Amino acid sequence: MTSAAVKQVQRKRMHRDRVFPIVNTILLCLLMFVTLYPVINTVAYSFNDGTDAVRGGIGLWPRVFSLKSYEAIMADKAVYQAAWISASKTVLITLLNLFWTGMLAFALSRKEYVLRKFITTVMVLTMYINAGLIPTYLLISKTLGLSKSYWVYIIPSMFSCFNMIVIRTYIAGLPDALVESARIDGAGDIRVYWQIIFPLCTPVLATVALFVAVGSWNSWFDTHLYCAGQKQLHSLQYLLKMKLATTQASANAAKTSADALKTTTLTTPITIRAAITVISTVPILVVYPFLQKYFVTGMALGSVKG
Amino acid sequence: MKKLLALLLALAMTLSMAGAVFAEGQEPITLTVFRGDPGDQPAEDNKIYKLIEEKFGVKFEFEFLAGNLDETLGLKIFGQDYPDLFDGGNSADLIIDGGALINLLDYISPEKTPRLWAHIEPQKARLIEKDENGNDVLYIIPNYGLPEGPQIALSVGGPAFFLQKQVLEWAGYPTIKTLNEYFDVIERFLEANPTDENGNPYIGFDILCEDWRHFCLINPVQHLMGRPNDGEVLIDVNDPGFHTETFIDKPYAKGYYKKLNEEFHKGLISRDTFTMNYDQYIAQLSSGTVLGMFDQAWDFGTATSALNDAKMYKNTYVALGPVYDPEYVDGKVIEEHYLNGSLPNVRRGFGISVNCTCPERIIAMWEEMMSEEWQLIFNWGIEGEDYYIENGRLLMTEEQYAHTQDNTWKLHNKADAFFQSSPKRQGWIMEGPLAGNCWEPGNQNEIVFGLMNDYDKEFLSHYGFSKWADFVNPPIELAPYGEAWQINYNPVDNEHTDFLKIQDKRLPELIMCDPAEFDALWDAFVEEITPSATAFGDYMQQAVLDEVAKVLGN
Amino acid sequence: MPAEKKRGFFRSLGRQWQLMIMSVPMLLYVLLFNYAPMWGWINAFRDYTNKKNVAKGITPFNGLDNFRWLFGRPDFFQAIRNTLAMSVINLVFGTFSAILLAVLLNEVRRKGFKRTVQTVTYLPHFLSMVIVVSMAQNIFASNGPVNALLISLGLVKDPVFWLGDGKYFWWLVGIINVWKEVGWGTIIYISAMTAIDPCLYEAASIDGAGRFQRILHVTLPGIKSTFVILLIMNIGHLLEAGFEIQYLLGNVLVKDYSNTIDIFVLEYGTEKLNIGVATAAGMFKSVVAIILLVGANFISRRLGEDTLI
Repeated sequence: MTSAAVKQVQRKRMHRDRVFPIVNTILLCLLMFVTLYPVINTVAYSFNDGTDAVRGGIGLWPRVFSLKSYEAIMADKAVYQAAWISASKTVLITLLNLFWTGMLAFALSRKEYVLRKFITTVMVLTMYINAGLIPTYLLISKTLGLSKSYWVYIIPSMFSCFNMIVIRTYIAGLPDALVESARIDGAGDIRVYWQIIFPLCTPVLATVALFVAVGSWNSWFDTHLYCAGQKQLHSLQYLLKMKLATTQASANAAKTSADALKTTTLTTPITIRAAITVISTVPILVVYPFLQKYFVTGMALGSVKG
Repeated sequence: MKKLLALLLALAMTLSMAGAVFAEGQEPITLTVFRGDPGDQPAEDNKIYKLIEEKFGVKFEFEFLAGNLDETLGLKIFGQDYPDLFDGGNSADLIIDGGALINLLDYISPEKTPRLWAHIEPQKARLIEKDENGNDVLYIIPNYGLPEGPQIALSVGGPAFFLQKQVLEWAGYPTIKTLNEYFDVIERFLEANPTDENGNPYIGFDILCEDWRHFCLINPVQHLMGRPNDGEVLIDVNDPGFHTETFIDKPYAKGYYKKLNEEFHKGLISRDTFTMNYDQYIAQLSSGTVLGMFDQAWDFGTATSALNDAKMYKNTYVALGPVYDPEYVDGKVIEEHYLNGSLPNVRRGFGISVNCTCPERIIAMWEEMMSEEWQLIFNWGIEGEDYYIENGRLLMTEEQYAHTQDNTWKLHNKADAFFQSSPKRQGWIMEGPLAGNCWEPGNQNEIVFGLMNDYDKEFLSHYGFSKWADFVNPPIELAPYGEAWQINYNPVDNEHTDFLKIQDKRLPELIMCDPAEFDALWDAFVEEITPSATAFGDYMQQAVLDEVAKVLGN
Repeated sequence: MPAEKKRGFFRSLGRQWQLMIMSVPMLLYVLLFNYAPMWGWINAFRDYTNKKNVAKGITPFNGLDNFRWLFGRPDFFQAIRNTLAMSVINLVFGTFSAILLAVLLNEVRRKGFKRTVQTVTYLPHFLSMVIVVSMAQNIFASNGPVNALLISLGLVKDPVFWLGDGKYFWWLVGIINVWKEVGWGTIIYISAMTAIDPCLYEAASIDGAGRFQRILHVTLPGIKSTFVILLIMNIGHLLEAGFEIQYLLGNVLVKDYSNTIDIFVLEYGTEKLNIGVATAAGMFKSVVAIILLVGANFISRRLGEDTLI
């Protein structure tokens, strides 16, 4: 059947259930409103005056407009260094994860691989076995001597089993014939993966890239554990978290001597928290469409059938 | 002209910087510093740290607390990763027990370090402890609480029953001294004014119970019994055996919660008070609709600022010190003591770690920093820039004062990260041409009263008071054990957690229950809490006695 | 193992050297970073109750005392109950809502609209829990919009005490989690849908399948293996209901319902440096997780579905 004929059939059907798209659109619009509200509300808080905001009750628009919260964060030059650290480690970690995780997922998707079951089990269990903070800390900081160095961000974060499983599931859904025919052409597994499977996995790799990048971008605990004293290595999230904690602490610390005074608190935890959320989410928002492109459209499928 | 001056100043500074380090004859060093609380990294161009670098050749590399304190300290102990200057925050016991800190008495003496010695001397009985071998040891010079001269008590900075000023104004400025009087005036005000001018209903009394701030729920009884803040125990300081008991399970505690139960059913207390979080609490206070609450003044500073900013002065709070009426305590008349003598912040501040290679140098630096010159730099800033002197008085313009409240400004112009945990002089400047000034701007008369608004001035004048602390009795003498909340109760950690959890759960139930069931529920509560309360109370009794023995024995 | 089979194993292994290159480095990696620190489990059998001793490095073995202590506490069982309840609610609602939204999105023909919806709905994932819970608290307050709506519709007479009544707590957690994560949760299903061969839709249409039937017979089967695998993984995680949302949304009135294992461990273990109890609880969770995981995997295999291992 030609594609024109298919389209004709489809068009007829469209007439029949025209109700569905309308209902669907309305539903999705409602959902968008419900999910957008907290986001806009946060943005509104971030642009509101701090002392006014503690009163609460701000909706979709700031009540007393102020850039103080952003100034309080951006005035610190360390933010830019930290943003650079965060961005660079995010890119590196994402690339390394895609590199290793994708290959491993392919290897473990090969039913004939004799170590498949053993390695899979070992990998899967890592998601459920938690050794606790202290031994991990001692391993990374003492045994491997990674603390106080940039590599402490990269090396322990190169791999995640969850993502491997996601990719493996995707590969398992691809036709086996692809691999078989390539093998017959004499290609080794490594070549099969990089030349055939890898390009087909773009949607799932984009998904995994998103997961890894977001996780890495948002992490602060590694800085806290291993690099807290090295301010040139501070990540953005760590710095922002610290700013929030400081604002919280100083908001409570009018303390004994100065409490009789009119204290002018220029920023408050509420507005700082909102501004921090905005600042750390914007980069993700900017990058997202580029990744989204890959997993919203099934562009890879042409070549499967090819 | 100004520009030229600035240029010259900068030139002079660069020159002196180049020279200073060698003039002192010391290698420049970088000290690693850990602070047991959150904080911001100071700006690179911070002027005070620049001065310190010039004068002492010392730079700092700060680490602030980001996660859980005990966990963080635990990791440092297990990994032996000690910074040079080590402030363990509220868990300094941990690093002391872990052997992370050196004994400062090896370096501090009347001869070698006269200023530091003079600073700790008056309280040395409290500060110097015995180690396991019976030697005198001092690991940390307290960061706060060693003031000079008469005690300054301008206002209640800690726990009190707070009341909106307009309630007292409406009632004709009465004097509130007891629990019944306190709730009575709120009741009457609420009856006459159910809503504010915008139609928002007033809330009679708020009880914050979120997480560790549940002290608003569980602490008041000791104050109603006439004691300052000893945490969760009531101590009889007139008893030679310092009888110590948990108060929440005692008959005299029942009266307070029964009163709250009554007020709940009269509508003064809303059930929503038990579900609100801290932000919502602050939002409520800031909206000016909460008439009263038990809290500590520092806990709602943001709300006070918000109210002042909105010029809602009549909605700000005055701290009152009600005690039980005689009817609650078998006709006894209780003397009120909300304010305590000044308390050295024992075991809080910087210690020097065993990993530090230059303890002498740090001590020598601190010794020099205890001079008037340096204390003024830390507290007041640079003369002419941050403050000025007129007729022997230390003063700030409104603009200069506003700076000291601006966090971003402070990162460039104050050395708080270092100074807050270092030994410091507080109270009055006792000698020299500046005698009679306060070490801290926040206590200086001209600044405190210069900034007071007219409503407050008039409010005070109705009572004939000159300061907010006049609403309560003057501070009593500090008990030998200090304040019991400072005592470490780690060996009964689990019992203590249970003790608190039962209160968290049952006290709100008691406040909201049907009055007919109150007595039975109270008995059930006492029975439930007795095991953990006894374990904790017994431990605290011994701990208080140990502390007394230490202080009196020294 | 018979010698021949063994030889066969090594022969295959030799042939599969390329697959080994692709997989063995990461095997070594997880052995180092995930398995080596497991020596720390020994701490579950040590006494960490006295901080003074802990700081000095004195942590004597105390046998099974930590486990005995844990299982002697009624509130630990309460924590297990609450954790399981909230996990199951989250798993069911979270999975269902994500799949539903993914399917609805898949039916949208206009690319721009589809992308917009997707971008907007995944945004709450990036808000901190503090912000989201704070908002939920305002929405469900006694004088909040939900109660106002219910009263104006005449469904209730007095405001419902959503936040202070324990029986609502688990469901509130479920609702908030769905609200925050539904968009994020669709990503994985949408990417799985890209692998569905468009020919299948065409074929179904030609066979006269309506929209609903196409969803039922093409879309859902297309994401089934993703669904099954995620389900098995999540069943293993049933004891991980987290602590942040419960900690923030909980209050003194609903503690009996908000207390989770992680909160329990935080209160009695981590915060007090009682590593013994924390590790014991961690071990317990790991063991239960593995049992659940293996069980789910086994059932799935029996049913002829995809398996994780």
